Amino acid sequence: MADDSSTSHRRDPIKSSVGNVAAQRRRQNAVTVGKERRESLVRAKRLCRVGATGDGDVPVEENDMITDEAGFLLDTQTSSAVEELKSAVAYQGKGAMQKRVNTLRQLRRLLSKSEFPPVEAALKAGAIPLLVQCLSFGSPDEQLLEAAWCLTNIAAGKPEETKALMPALPLLIAHLGEKSSLPVAEQCAWALGNVAGEGEELRNVLLSQGALPPLARMMLPNKGSTVRTAAWALSNLIKGPDPKAATELIKVDGVLDAILRHLRKVDEELATEVAWVVVYLSALSNFATGVLVKSDVLQLLVERLATSNSLQLLIPNENKLMQRKCTLIVVLRSLGNLVAADSHTISTVLVPGHEITDGVIKVLVKCLKSDHRVLKKEASWVLSNIAAGSIEHKQLIYSSEAVPLLLRLLSTAPFDIRKEVAYVLGNLCVAPTAGEGKPNLIEEHLASLVQRGCLSGFIDLVRSADIEAARLGLQFTELVLRGVPNGDGPKLVEQEDGIDAMEIYQFHENEDLRNMANGLVDKYFGEDYGIDE
Amino acid sequence: MAMVVDYKNDSSFPYWTSIRRRFEPDSPFFTSGNLERELLAKQVALDLTEDERNRLEKMIDNAARGVCCLIVGCRACLASLEDFEDHYNALHTASCSVCSRVYTTSRLLSIHVSEAHDSFFQAKVARGYAMYECLVEGCGLKFKSDKGRQQHLVDKHKFPTSFDFFKKAHPSKKKRLKNQQKRRMHKKDEEASSKMEVENETIDGLVSAVSKLSTSDSSPSNISFGRRNARGLTFVPLSVQPPREKK
Repeated sequence: MADDSSTSHRRDPIKSSVGNVAAQRRRQNAVTVGKERRESLVRAKRLCRVGATGDGDVPVEENDMITDEAGFLLDTQTSSAVEELKSAVAYQGKGAMQKRVNTLRQLRRLLSKSEFPPVEAALKAGAIPLLVQCLSFGSPDEQLLEAAWCLTNIAAGKPEETKALMPALPLLIAHLGEKSSLPVAEQCAWALGNVAGEGEELRNVLLSQGALPPLARMMLPNKGSTVRTAAWALSNLIKGPDPKAATELIKVDGVLDAILRHLRKVDEELATEVAWVVVYLSALSNFATGVLVKSDVLQLLVERLATSNSLQLLIPNENKLMQRKCTLIVVLRSLGNLVAADSHTISTVLVPGHEITDGVIKVLVKCLKSDHRVLKKEASWVLSNIAAGSIEHKQLIYSSEAVPLLLRLLSTAPFDIRKEVAYVLGNLCVAPTAGEGKPNLIEEHLASLVQRGCLSGFIDLVRSADIEAARLGLQFTELVLRGVPNGDGPKLVEQEDGIDAMEIYQFHENEDLRNMANGLVDKYFGEDYGIDE
Repeated sequence: MAMVVDYKNDSSFPYWTSIRRRFEPDSPFFTSGNLERELLAKQVALDLTEDERNRLEKMIDNAARGVCCLIVGCRACLASLEDFEDHYNALHTASCSVCSRVYTTSRLLSIHVSEAHDSFFQAKVARGYAMYECLVEGCGLKFKSDKGRQQHLVDKHKFPTSFDFFKKAHPSKKKRLKNQQKRRMHKKDEEASSKMEVENETIDGLVSAVSKLSTSDSSPSNISFGRRNARGLTFVPLSVQPPREKK
């Protein structure tokens, strides 16, 4: 080979102009790649780069800035691979099986190489019908595995690509059965999980084709990566919005028991995926919530939240830290959904005075103390729902460690947390709704919270741009004006510049807020205000 | 534990009711938590940098919280809460240097200043000129009384009858006290009393200016026009000061 460097030196002047164009295209590509990457991060689908069996014979490429040339090359290679698969499938002679497996493997590697597999090229070349053929009954495991793996990655991207898997669905479902080898079943579950993650339409197709029972059964064994993949696929499958699937799932024999078992496990990854199933069950299906609440699940969730130590200490690396955080988020959310779903949870299980109730409050306080925004926000949400319970519930929270923390958060935390905190504090000051008319105030709580300085936080919410927050602020202001003892309310509101805040709404487009604010100013700061000073 | 039971009948206000709130799984409320989950699952393959993660979270947050300015007549839409705050402070917080009231447009502020602090305005009103402008920009109509204008706003521009720009707007503490004292001591009609307000304001401005000059640190001036405004009213001459005090 000639001396490359000297050649390139001599060619440089010409190359540079071409180089600029190419660099520009690469930058543009990078922007597109950046956008696609962000979208792929948020999607509920997962690419399979290292197989279920841990078959890591493909070096996983980290560099995702695919140059035009490399992308083009990959596409060409993929098309050829599909062509070869075509002939391998047609071939009936000696060594046919091995040939099929080899070509499948080749295609699979191409589809696993980078973050953005050449799916379009594969589809254009006609990969799907061939892969469906490779899934036929009686095929050897290796063949099934490679075919399912290819389909998994084809389904991991854009909606139209995922939809292309339709012809393969019945077979993928069929291979979930107990007669299939575990790796095959797992890979099929993975592919189906991607399909379910695409959207409601595909979910309904899968459900009508009977995907739920076999996937549910895959969650029953006590261990194995299959259980985890099945749980993930199930959570995508029952996501709704139709609650039917969630209800159906909890009815499957052994599922509740399996959920409880897995929630006890030390393996956080598994517990997390199962907890996500609980999240969807409790968010969507009242029936499922009823079943869950009657079981030990609340206790288990509380225990999981309680035993996790401070997130910073003892966690060896970033990944584990993130895993722990995710576990906490999902466990907290399951708890939140169970509390929010119906009054039954609060009125019969989380009764004040019971040990579990104290446990729940303690664990929520712990989340409030954490560094993590999602935990603080969702813990506040759960507290607000408990505070929406009976007088005894309100007293319980009021006298707990939560209140000082909430007061501090109300003035210092980011907006979304402050809004949730506002709900808690407000709910503590108002008696349970009983029929028509104005709800009664709980003067003791209101007076104390105001005395401890919460009013300015609420006035800040009045000033915010968010309609819901402004509404909350105004509603709380009304409570103060009406209910603070000795008629001190108006003075306190004025001190916190509450009148100015309310006057913003004189010209506000939102008529509701305008009327609320004007009504309060009229009523409490009319001409007679200050007359006795 | 005492409970306040209040049966005054004003059913129009939506009082705080303590109720449970439930969210759908795909509600934006859950977005950031969902994001964490997906990021983790893809972490190994994608090897995100700290910076990328932060930008991603910000992107998700903002997408869920793009804010539109809802002040009447303003159609701005801002990408984030910070941007909205900047917009609001720049364009909707014109404050009056005389009484510190804040208005959302400079036009409204200048109308306020004329109507509330300008004795020439009051003089013209007294002589029967139509001085009260319609508050809707572009309308151009003027009225001889505040009530007339109010009626016009309701009839023509569909403002709610509860909408009350000037009269019921909250006067400063000092002004309120003066109003009450005047009502007790004098029986003047509305116009005269508003004229008095302007004059009193002026006099009080003198008072506070004088007391600021005083070297004695005795108790506040014993002139009985009411308490000194906590905000420190500056001396107001008979002509109006330009009210441009945008933040």
